[in-house]
Amino acid sequence: MFMNTNTRLVSPEFDYLQPKTLAEAFTMLADHGGSAKLLAGGTDLLVQMKMERQQPSHVISLSRVKELAGITEGDVLTIGATTSIRDVSRSGPVIAGYTALQEACNAYSTVSVMLMGTIGGNICNASPAADTAPALLVHDASAVLRSGKATRTVPLRDFFTGPGKTVIQPGEILTAVELPKPAKGTGSAFLKISRVVADISQVCVAVVLVRDGDTITDCRIALGSVGPTPMRMKQAVGALIGKRGTPEAFAAAADIVAKDITPITDVRATEKYRRHVSRIIARDALLTAWQRAAEGAAK
Amino acid sequence: MQSTEFKTIGDASWRKDGIAKVTGSEKYAPDISVDRMWYGRVLRSPHAHARIVSVDTSAAEALGAVCLTYADVPHTRYNERIVSTPPCLYRDRTVVADKARHVGEALVGVAAPTEALAEKALRLIKIEYEVLEVITTMDQARKDGADPIHDTVLLDGVDKPIVNNVAVRRTIDVGDTVKGFAESDVIIERKYKTSRIYHAQMEPKSVVCRPEIDGGITVWASTQSIHNTRILLGQIYDLPLSKVNVKKVMLGGSFGSSIQMNSVTPICVGLALKSGHPVKIASTREEDMHDHVRYPSEITLKLGMKKDGTLIAGEMHAEIDIGAHNIQAYPFLGGFGGFWASLYKLPNMKYVGTAVYTNKTPSCAMQGFGAPQVHFAVESLMDEIAHEMGFDPIEFKLRQYVGLGGTFWGQGPASKCIIRSDGVPELLKTGSELIGWDKRQKSGSQTGRMRRGIGMARGFHTSGVGHAKASGAEMIDYSGAIVKLNEDGTVDLIQSLMDHGGGTNHAISKLVAEELGIPNHMVGISPCDTRTSLYDVTTHATRGIYAGGSAALRAAKVVKTQILEWAARVLDVLPESLVIEPDYELGQGVIYCPNLAERRMTVGELARYLHLNSLGTLSSSQSLRMVNCPPAYVSYYVEVEVDTETGQIHSRRAALGSDCGTVVNPALASGQLIGGLSKGQGYALTEDNQWDPKTGELASKGFWVDGKTPSISESPLVGDIATHFAHTYEPTGPFGAKGLGEAAKNPAAAAFANAVYNALGIRFYEIPITPEKVLAALAEQAAGKANKTGQATLKAPTPVAE
Repeated sequence: MFMNTNTRLVSPEFDYLQPKTLAEAFTMLADHGGSAKLLAGGTDLLVQMKMERQQPSHVISLSRVKELAGITEGDVLTIGATTSIRDVSRSGPVIAGYTALQEACNAYSTVSVMLMGTIGGNICNASPAADTAPALLVHDASAVLRSGKATRTVPLRDFFTGPGKTVIQPGEILTAVELPKPAKGTGSAFLKISRVVADISQVCVAVVLVRDGDTITDCRIALGSVGPTPMRMKQAVGALIGKRGTPEAFAAAADIVAKDITPITDVRATEKYRRHVSRIIARDALLTAWQRAAEGAAK
Repeated sequence: MQSTEFKTIGDASWRKDGIAKVTGSEKYAPDISVDRMWYGRVLRSPHAHARIVSVDTSAAEALGAVCLTYADVPHTRYNERIVSTPPCLYRDRTVVADKARHVGEALVGVAAPTEALAEKALRLIKIEYEVLEVITTMDQARKDGADPIHDTVLLDGVDKPIVNNVAVRRTIDVGDTVKGFAESDVIIERKYKTSRIYHAQMEPKSVVCRPEIDGGITVWASTQSIHNTRILLGQIYDLPLSKVNVKKVMLGGSFGSSIQMNSVTPICVGLALKSGHPVKIASTREEDMHDHVRYPSEITLKLGMKKDGTLIAGEMHAEIDIGAHNIQAYPFLGGFGGFWASLYKLPNMKYVGTAVYTNKTPSCAMQGFGAPQVHFAVESLMDEIAHEMGFDPIEFKLRQYVGLGGTFWGQGPASKCIIRSDGVPELLKTGSELIGWDKRQKSGSQTGRMRRGIGMARGFHTSGVGHAKASGAEMIDYSGAIVKLNEDGTVDLIQSLMDHGGGTNHAISKLVAEELGIPNHMVGISPCDTRTSLYDVTTHATRGIYAGGSAALRAAKVVKTQILEWAARVLDVLPESLVIEPDYELGQGVIYCPNLAERRMTVGELARYLHLNSLGTLSSSQSLRMVNCPPAYVSYYVEVEVDTETGQIHSRRAALGSDCGTVVNPALASGQLIGGLSKGQGYALTEDNQWDPKTGELASKGFWVDGKTPSISESPLVGDIATHFAHTYEPTGPFGAKGLGEAAKNPAAAAFANAVYNALGIRFYEIPITPEKVLAALAEQAAGKANKTGQATLKAPTPVAE
């Protein structure tokens, strides 16, 4: 009801826990089961608690679990779940190889939100509008899920199951996302349309293209805010792989994108406007990624 | 007069409250805490229109909470903005309501030892509602048989019936419009629509009230006037004013939304009096967004002119959706007509303004009052006429604007004055050079995806509501100040005048320093309250420096005379032979006789001498009403870039000019202009509150992210915003100064709309100009349809240029 809806007061009572290690966190999660919530940056969870959409009995903060933060380069790029959006956007390896992700992080509301928000929180919250989700999808990222007993790696394309819903099982914690090394000749881009910059997207799109000369050898396209989950565009991709990368081909693929998405009308945009700008920014992102792919260095 | 002739005025000095603000140590109303303090929350209506059948607070009280219902509060209606005099004051409010008239209407106050407990108790209150017809549009409100939102309101002690939900209507007639239109060669009529935006001030309305042992109260509140808050609380709770003390605390922004006593203030007082505890209410952002909005408008504007463009007749109909309460529709409608009449010379004009109640958040004053709405219509239409008839818009406007020697009545028919300073020609010339007006593309000639356009609009705001009449005023308008010389030569300035954040108090301290001839750091701005300060009506109508500064200057002049008289005795010269000038090395004001160089002493030395010889404190307490209300002219040139594929409009460059007379602090004045651009850009391009027509709920639910307020990210780059000032001197103002704050926003929407026209060749008659509207208009343009959306020219414009 209106009178209870606000973003200042946390009305329901809860216990606040601060584990120092992942092992401690698993124990706490096991002890408090389904009524506990994990807290990373808090930019989503706290707002939801204030609005009473979430009423956990226990809030387990991951801020002191050091092993969850930071970015390491190996066979894959591993970004710890509690790494802030700001740190991701300023990371050397991200800047060098994952342009779409970096652009998504830079488009992530205001600096204060970027400093608080985390990459793990952004995808676990599973908002269809999460800025980093389309970027991670096109970079072919995987989610590393650990429980007290086991670790599993889930491709991000299989991770989201609905608005606010993921494949994370009770007792599991997302510890990192892993991004494979980009292939030679890769270019990527992220574009977002919102009413004002400090706002949730009306539509956002991320694109990865791999080119060999004038030929598109691989392609991934994902959009946010146009369906119940961040969406990968398989039809449009199918129309591009193996073809020459021409403005006409990209425009045709963007037309397919605009048909395949399932946007709704809400307070931020109409369905019609979402479809319209999806086509525009999908085409723009493809053109930009294509140009970047030509600029040599695997971007 | 050049500001360089001054010693203190005109420098870009750091404001006195700057360090406290940037370090976070400044205290605002929500930061105030006192011993034994409880916390209040407010139960608000989820229904837009409902009768209250019953209220059961027993479960809340069982938790230890104190509740304040309609049965607990005085039933005499009040108006929360007592700037207007009783014949102009429409009273329709009580502390908590007997009937829900909008979603978010305050129905029950709850206080408890903690905020969490208050919130818990609030949810145990049971209210039975009888839901009534929800009225969200003016058409619906005026339909015969529509549910009355108010049956009557109280006007000057008399119950005034409200018919068809029309709150108030005002008409102004000058000359003979029938004759004027008959003699016109060209008549053009357009309809304009402006939106209902949220103020988006940083501080949500907050208040602390401490009941005192003598039966009185001490109050710390977000307000633009501590004295009006005091008077109202005294009236509502039947307390002598000597027992109501309202403290001056820093205001965390307002944009006009605290011109009235905020709705939470009397609730907090009621809870404190009932519980016997100090109580604090800090509104949530969501409550705040349900509490106040800008007046929206639907304007029909018709202008008649000769072939050479000379305006001879005008007719304006303005319809204003005021929401659930009449906070100040009467002065608003007066100002609306006055702003229009003061823009361009119109020998014959007719104005009809109508304010209508609906079941929505009450509209109230916001930066510019009715001027941004009027400027949008008039400056859009003047631009259109100039283009249609082949005139240069700048020349066309300069030919006909109300300037030097003309009559200005920006705040309505009751406040008129002769214009004595006018920087308009300079503003328009400088602005056009800075933006590159002559290099702009022909309107509608571009074809690419990204199209740039330059738009211009001009205008003003008033400087206060001064007038010459001795009685019968529509509005109260006076300020007070106390200036006293301390025992070391420093000065205390005690003034209840509130600073919205633009630096008004700091600027006034500079006026005092200038007059006394001492460095500005020697003037302290005193904390004060209603007990220790003189009355000030409120910081509104861009009157802070002009009216409040004039009162302080009057007190400083008296103190200066006293200083010179005493110094003359000590130095054994005639007082007329002495001057005082700041000596920045000494950090003192130096009193000396230019003809006898050895006869000199510092103000500090004089102050010590007076103190040690028990000669008394030099001080003055002055109250002042201005008899003029000069226009604070402003010019806007903006450049936009329109993405014709996404429909987005980007603000790229701006040249903003102000004729504020003498510039007291160029850095802060420039900041006012840039702030006006930011607010104006939101008004023109993005912000628009929507209500569900069926339920009367705010579509954003009060979430600020859906308020679409632009931030610095939407602003042009700092280097692409030029600000400039006219070289004028207002003879009736303090050291030649007049107003600036509200003027800084007024022409913005028209400038943006005109810039979009220049980019696309499409006129927009409704703000905000959203991407969706741009795309729809481009599609119509591509289909070859007229872009005037069915708007007709009554007599065809005939281009006169051969």
